[in-house]
Amino acid sequence: MSLWQYVAERWDRLSLQAWLHVSGVVQCVILAAIIGVAVGVLVYRSSAGSAIATALSSTILTIPSFALLGLLIPIVGLGVTPSVIALTLYGLLPIVRNTIVGLAGVDPAVSDAAKGIGMSRVGVLSRVELRLAWPAILTGMRVSAQMLMGIAVIAAYAKGFGLGSEVFSGLTRAGSANSLNQALAGTLGVVILALILDGIFVLISRLTVPRGIRD
Amino acid sequence: MTAVAEGLAGISETRSFEEKPSVARRSDRIRLFIQPIAVVVIVAAVLTWVLAGDLNANESETLNLPTILTLTGQHILITLVVSVLVVVIAVPLGIALTRPALKWLSPVFLAIANIGQAAPALGVIVLFFLWTGIEGLWAVSIPLIFYTLLPVLRNTMVGIQQVDRSLIDAGRGIGMSASGVLFKVELPLAVPLILAGLRTALVLAVGTATLAFFVNGGGLGELIDTGYKLQLNSVMYVGAVLAIGLALLVDWLGGMAEVWLSPKGASE
Repeated sequence: MSLWQYVAERWDRLSLQAWLHVSGVVQCVILAAIIGVAVGVLVYRSSAGSAIATALSSTILTIPSFALLGLLIPIVGLGVTPSVIALTLYGLLPIVRNTIVGLAGVDPAVSDAAKGIGMSRVGVLSRVELRLAWPAILTGMRVSAQMLMGIAVIAAYAKGFGLGSEVFSGLTRAGSANSLNQALAGTLGVVILALILDGIFVLISRLTVPRGIRD
Repeated sequence: MTAVAEGLAGISETRSFEEKPSVARRSDRIRLFIQPIAVVVIVAAVLTWVLAGDLNANESETLNLPTILTLTGQHILITLVVSVLVVVIAVPLGIALTRPALKWLSPVFLAIANIGQAAPALGVIVLFFLWTGIEGLWAVSIPLIFYTLLPVLRNTMVGIQQVDRSLIDAGRGIGMSASGVLFKVELPLAVPLILAGLRTALVLAVGTATLAFFVNGGGLGELIDTGYKLQLNSVMYVGAVLAIGLALLVDWLGGMAEVWLSPKGASE
């Protein structure tokens, strides 16, 4: 059976897994963005704090994803929970780092001007600084999303969601009919979805980055 | 900029947002200082616990020093094979692709390497295994070389391309040959970036080597898998902690190489 026949025949199952894969990754990126931007906002004014937050999140990224799963499974069990924790943790680095870079890159004169016209600290942060840092934050989310698409495949080991389960069951059934098609459908699916998701991020940045600060 | 972020830049262009050098340096310094200490403490704690602890029969069957050493050895071997071959392939290729005669080929190679890294590592390993039927060390090393080639290749090319044109002209002006300029001016100035790429490749290799057991390549991932299948949490913990320790150690060695092997004056 050719790959196309295989995909056509299993379309229902594959499209569901594909949907779960993307939607899981996107949700984890959003979760990582909420945490990551909060961390970035807390530390960006202190250069020691920025250095520690960056160092910590780079160290997390050094941890092999399969090893992190090995630590998480005994603690939180199988299923969606270990996948979500792992994906969110890995998603943090690019977002934390880019939030710090973006906020630190805001011209102090602009912040001073905002303060000078009577804006509160929170007002300056939310209405001036975060908006100017938004392109950097969005790029961080985009990088996270690309990375998580691949890591989510490994996370499927712990009975998680998405196309990774196709790769795993193709591997377990190695030698039998369609095992290669199954693994290939899973892997190619991830590559295609990652490209589409990347395109969506480009679109979001077109729509949300104010014209004045576009490159 | 940290090595891993450097690697991420391969997926997308983070490079447009550069860290303040002071923050990057400081965070690198924190990691170079804390990481080895963390590794030694964690690994020592786990090994004492395992070797001195009360394990039941099932656990002691998998958790004994010879098994652990064999798996760690396999893990290190995969990392070494991948890293050495990646350097041997990517650095000369990167140099060749920046030579005037071959420059037009460089987008093609970068595109291929980009696609290689966009594919999920596990998928690449599993497909290679299903396609060729090869098992063991090479079943995991060959796809991983493809997968980790990009950071070193890209950094070699960028490192050479960013060398100030006037320095090359000055080299030629004082009578150096083209290869003299390459080896005495361009390459030494590119070394810091090449080393950053190598560190990324090392981290990717040591991380993905945990997946080697899926294609009978051994490595510390096997302990995690055994623990998972036999529902022995202690075995899972040991496998995970050792794999993490090894990854942090390898990253630290890469970081030290960046510090010590970069020619003075070329960095920053």
